[in-house]
Amino acid sequence: MWFDSFLQWLANTQFSTVIRESTWGEPIIESMHVLTLTLFLGFAILLDLRLLGVCLTRKRASEVLAQFNPWLFGGFAMMVISGALLFSADPVSFYNTHPPFFKIKMIMLVLAGLNVLIFNLGIGRKVTEWDLSPKTPTTAKVAGAVSIILWVLIVAAGRAIAYVLPPP
Amino acid sequence: MWLRELILSFCQWCNNSFFGHGIRDSRWLFPFVEIFHLIGLGVLGGTLLVLNLRLLGIGFKGEKTSDLSRDVRPWMIGSLMVMVVSGFLLFSTEAVKMFGNWAFRAKMSFLLLAILYTFTIYRWVLRADESRLAPVWRISAALLSLLLWSGVGFGGRAIGFVTTSASSVSASTP
Repeated sequence: MWFDSFLQWLANTQFSTVIRESTWGEPIIESMHVLTLTLFLGFAILLDLRLLGVCLTRKRASEVLAQFNPWLFGGFAMMVISGALLFSADPVSFYNTHPPFFKIKMIMLVLAGLNVLIFNLGIGRKVTEWDLSPKTPTTAKVAGAVSIILWVLIVAAGRAIAYVLPPP
Repeated sequence: MWLRELILSFCQWCNNSFFGHGIRDSRWLFPFVEIFHLIGLGVLGGTLLVLNLRLLGIGFKGEKTSDLSRDVRPWMIGSLMVMVVSGFLLFSTEAVKMFGNWAFRAKMSFLLLAILYTFTIYRWVLRADESRLAPVWRISAALLSLLLWSGVGFGGRAIGFVTTSASSVSASTP
């Protein structure tokens, strides 16, 4: 399959080899990936808790969204970059783990993205109408709850990947 | 030294406890507990970043620091408790090995300082009337918080990369 040959090509690039064979490359990138959880996962969960109406309730939801957004984007960019670097160090093994935790993680990332999209196209567009009341509408609560569940599962799948990767 | 002996025997007790044994012998319990540790890391780190960015004047303006602190405080304390309990369980699987691991010792020292600081001086700065506290104090408080908690985080990351020589531990084992 063309995708398998792409992974094979990626594994053979100098870029991939440098990360794979350097002593400190992977530990540093991995630490960045894990410690950026404080920025990305932390802020995402706090935002979800606001949508659920259990945290930062003193602030308007629209205000919380506006203030969290730049940090969430920055944190997500760092997660994606560090994750992509880790992946490119050994793409064939990542893609073919048994059980397929990597594929599960990627599917759930897409679902989390869809959740954000649905929120922004739906109830999120009307945020200024409902954020004056301390209670959030049910659809916003569902979006928050789905988001928390997906991110917890994504962290779990991510952790599991390391357990089923073949040792270097 | 008696304190050293006391801590070492505590580590040995952890190693032999039912949870130390149970998690060590299971293929999936260790990563399962680790997931709680990671989620706790996200939430605890998130709440601390929100407060520190506010103190630094970089983000989350428009609300008094004391109100913001009151809002995120239950989540900060809750996630800290999740991290301490899950961390203790992970530690108990190889407690004696951790005893001789300098990265683990550094992490625990930073953790002790970070907790002491967070619940005393830091708390006082968060609660202080903003008009009566010069920005330099708020910025210093935030930087010290970031420094101490980063020490905990990087210490934790380093644990896995430090290989302990068995002799340094067994030499003092009774």
